[in-house]
Amino acid sequence: MGSWGFIGLAYGVAAVALVGYLIGLRARLKESGAILTALEGDGGRKKP
Amino acid sequence: MGPSRIARILSVMAGLCVAVGLYLGLVAAPPDATQGEVQRIMYLHVPSILTAYVAFTATFIASVLYLWKRDPRADAVAVSSAEVGVVFTGITLATGSIWGKSTWGVWWTWDARLTLTAILFTIYVGYLMLRAFAEEPQAAARYGAVLAILGFFDIPLNHLAVQWWRTLHQPSSLIRPGGPSIDAALLVPLLVNLAGLLLLYGYYVVERTRLERMRQRALALRLTRGRRG
Repeated sequence: MGSWGFIGLAYGVAAVALVGYLIGLRARLKESGAILTALEGDGGRKKP
Repeated sequence: MGPSRIARILSVMAGLCVAVGLYLGLVAAPPDATQGEVQRIMYLHVPSILTAYVAFTATFIASVLYLWKRDPRADAVAVSSAEVGVVFTGITLATGSIWGKSTWGVWWTWDARLTLTAILFTIYVGYLMLRAFAEEPQAAARYGAVLAILGFFDIPLNHLAVQWWRTLHQPSSLIRPGGPSIDAALLVPLLVNLAGLLLLYGYYVVERTRLERMRQRALALRLTRGRRG
């Protein structure tokens, strides 16, 4: 592997880690937001 | 509850700064006189570890605040910053390994700096596992804070390792007594990339803290409901 191959590998690994983390974080935010909305919605309802 | 105004500003600033940093590091900066083109990995490797240091320092401060005030907001910042710090330490280890293979001929060696960085990574992965697997949330926060405070002391040890033990890793060229030892043509791209990664860290932490606050709120609601029966 030449110099630019190593450079590409290093920057590629970092890009995958940073973008992958962001995608995962957004998915977790969406999931937690939905759970919280459901819980807050339930709290407002009266028990039959 | 969407991203805050500060998160949006940080994301735009980080995107711009990283784009400029990539251009400066990969195109505009001259190749190193000794290592040639492969030295361009430095523009990613060095800012990554410095960003990780900032992340774990923030975790340390937030953990001390949590133990002192028992404020769940401080705990949310501590765990968020630690998680982002682990990402940047992982990038440091990976890029360092690739750079090592191209210059030293090996992917890994038990050099003092490399070993202490691996220990730093392990400490904070352990911290996140402790947080994830503890059954009682307040105990998880308390034990996590203690581990984060103890683990923080690996940072000065890691930074000074290249001065105390002259092994394979080169000495610090940015944060050192007497100022940076590298030429301005290489220093400017390095600092722009550092600013870009710090802004990115800021954006990730703001968003990750928002997630942790949502989880804390959901847990509080569940507990309140459980008490009511």
